[in-house]
Amino acid sequence: MDTRITDELLSRVEKPARYIGSEWNMERKEVFDFRFALCFPDVYEIGMSHLGSRILYRVLNDMDGVYCERCYAPWTDMEQALRERNVPLFTLETKSPLRDFDVVGFSLLYEMCYTNVLTMLELSDIPFLSAERDERYPLIVAGGPCTCNPEPIAGIFDAILLGDGEELEPELVECVRSAKREGVGKAELLKRLAGIEGVYVPSFYEPVYEDGRYVRTERLFEFAPAHPQKRVVRNLDSAKYIGKQLVPHMQIVHDRVAVEVMRGCTRGCRFCQAGYIYRPVRERTKETLLEQTRDLVSCTGYDEVSLLSLSTGDYSELHELLPQIIDDMAAQKVSVSLPSLRIDSLLKDDLEKMQTVRKGGLTFAPEAGTQRMRDVINKNVTEDDLLRAVTDAFTAGWCGVKLYFMIGLPTETDEDILGIAELARKVSNAFYRLPKDKRGSGFRVTVSVSTFVPKPWTAFQWCAQDRQEEIVRKQQLLKTALKGVRGAELHCHPSVLSVLEAVFSRGDRRLAGVLIDAYRRGCRFDSWAEHFKPDAWAAAFEANGLSMDEYAHRERDTEEPLPWETIDALVTVSYLKREWARAKEARTTKDCRQGCNGCFGEHCEDYCRV
Amino acid sequence: MKIIAAFEKTKELSYTSHLDVQRTLQRAFRRADLPLAFSKGFNPHPKLSFATALATGYTSAGEWLEVELDGEITPEAFLSRVNAALPVGMRFVSAFVAGDSFGTLSKMLVAAKYLVTLYTDAPVTFEEIDAAVKAIMDSDEVIVEKKTKSGIKPANIRPEILEAEAVSASDRTAVVAVAGVLTAAGGLRAETFARAMFERLNLVGRFTAHRTSLCFTGSDRLPTLR
Repeated sequence: MDTRITDELLSRVEKPARYIGSEWNMERKEVFDFRFALCFPDVYEIGMSHLGSRILYRVLNDMDGVYCERCYAPWTDMEQALRERNVPLFTLETKSPLRDFDVVGFSLLYEMCYTNVLTMLELSDIPFLSAERDERYPLIVAGGPCTCNPEPIAGIFDAILLGDGEELEPELVECVRSAKREGVGKAELLKRLAGIEGVYVPSFYEPVYEDGRYVRTERLFEFAPAHPQKRVVRNLDSAKYIGKQLVPHMQIVHDRVAVEVMRGCTRGCRFCQAGYIYRPVRERTKETLLEQTRDLVSCTGYDEVSLLSLSTGDYSELHELLPQIIDDMAAQKVSVSLPSLRIDSLLKDDLEKMQTVRKGGLTFAPEAGTQRMRDVINKNVTEDDLLRAVTDAFTAGWCGVKLYFMIGLPTETDEDILGIAELARKVSNAFYRLPKDKRGSGFRVTVSVSTFVPKPWTAFQWCAQDRQEEIVRKQQLLKTALKGVRGAELHCHPSVLSVLEAVFSRGDRRLAGVLIDAYRRGCRFDSWAEHFKPDAWAAAFEANGLSMDEYAHRERDTEEPLPWETIDALVTVSYLKREWARAKEARTTKDCRQGCNGCFGEHCEDYCRV
Repeated sequence: MKIIAAFEKTKELSYTSHLDVQRTLQRAFRRADLPLAFSKGFNPHPKLSFATALATGYTSAGEWLEVELDGEITPEAFLSRVNAALPVGMRFVSAFVAGDSFGTLSKMLVAAKYLVTLYTDAPVTFEEIDAAVKAIMDSDEVIVEKKTKSGIKPANIRPEILEAEAVSASDRTAVVAVAGVLTAAGGLRAETFARAMFERLNLVGRFTAHRTSLCFTGSDRLPTLR
């Protein structure tokens, strides 16, 4: 694109660095015959922090002749500037419009970003629906955790990628590339794509509704798999990783070296979709991680490393890995952080080592305030564990701790809400009980409370979400109960958005009409409080004859057909039913490192080797 | 030891902020494996300080900074190692080793020179640009609305303008060279000068600015106003 145009656009927006590219380690290619636009439907700062996109950027650019470029959702000021100038949305690497690419792939991490997908398509002059696009348009695909229920956005995408992308995306690219060379049409291309393990082509399936409810999905063609199955990278240790991580100019949300120690989690927390859909657990070896850390630090110049996973504390070699990485990095003044800590007895030693370079924040996630409630959600952490952990941390010099909770959990009573305040009080007391010369000053216990959203492929996929009034009442109850707890600070997430999130999480294909309607009514960046338009959403539901209530607040019978069961997420419905029944009895289920709970059913032998 | 150096900022990187530049340089120094000296405390930072900040969106031929090192390095090695670790759009153009008695850049700074490009909504001639520049230089007062902490206030920017000269004009693009006061306390902004020009020309439009030089006193190793 003419630099005059980019100059003019960039001079008009608040944060131009979002759109310039040219970061250290950005791919520059002269020779390529296949163009992939890796799109993220949120702003640069968020999209650039996404680990999966970082991996795919490397995987795709390592392919011969393939040039993968990035594109993020333009903030509203840039959207307006593009519309006024009639300039198409452009990629960061070569400032090319999305229409010029062979494949446009979106990473879907959060349902509340779906409207931004529409913005990005419209600004690229690409029709919203797959059925409205022929061979002249790029193939529009999506991947990421949200695709575990692909139905609400099924009409938009030509193909949806399920599960891990490292091996799947190159296969997709090769398939599209050869189809292009042969000059085959879109219908034939989709048919070939449907044959790749992990690809779901929505147009080959048709949902049936009776009396306003989803009843089943009809497969339209024999060649399409009955239940497209999510893709799994079996050997994570040898799988391709980030290689040269991009180093942004502006500050991003996760502005540090990211090392993925393992994928999946064995804990089995019943609310946690990630815990179910990233199964089975696969670890990288300590040697691989040490090498990746050294390489990433030296090629980026970052001074912070984060050891990522759903539960890094469970990594089997953690207590050997951590001291080595910390020693390795200390000489270069690089600090090491763990986003999730296991609340156990070995924590103390790790904490002492971690603070040798720089003291990061300390976060624990008890998730619920009473033992009964924690048993319901299978969060196998006790109050004693937590109090021991925070006391260790306070003794080691920390004087602030953040505690994550959810409210609106199934079977929850006011006693469970008050239990959150009680736990915060005990944490506060644990700090003030220490002798003055043994503790820091300026103590803070931050109580962060989100609203529970029932998600597909979890033990709670059938349950009703609390209504908004009830959530507000519970938040108020907690606020009052926290008064008088020294150092306590409460952060509550807005509850209206959680309802919409619940709707799209467990929605069906009829929601695509609502989504497009809401977009036309101006909905964008719904997860940003200043942009969220609840009235426009309500109007869009009404105009489409659908009820948010029906999707969010209705308990499903366990025999009721669910729209997302067309795909196979490996975790079986019978296992989830067992977990749901146990939850209602407040019975816990053991960590599957201590023995198989049979979550994969017949797939166990093939995929799970814990 | 202390290295004093100047880098240019061009292309897309002109849209990075001063904070972005600080981060980018710190990381580039790490990639270049420079023996950086760190500040003490819980959040050790490399000791790096700038003569001044450059407004986001401006390009520059020479932004000066000083960096403290815990080891020896020649200016040549500094230039080649750091430049190999910088993204396209940033590049060091000169460097020298300074003794302990060398002053602080921000205190030695007196002025800055710019090329201001005006993109007007109607064609302009060189004569018109020249006349507008001369009108500014001949006035005792050039009043421009200036954004301050307490709101927008009219301010006389004429005392801050040291020199100005029309460089070129063709169709809807005109270039003016201007030198203005710039010290740690503030000074002329290319943006206010551009607005003064648009007012004199009775035109509207947008502008870009390129800082051609920072000017210092007190050292013959740094660029001066003359």
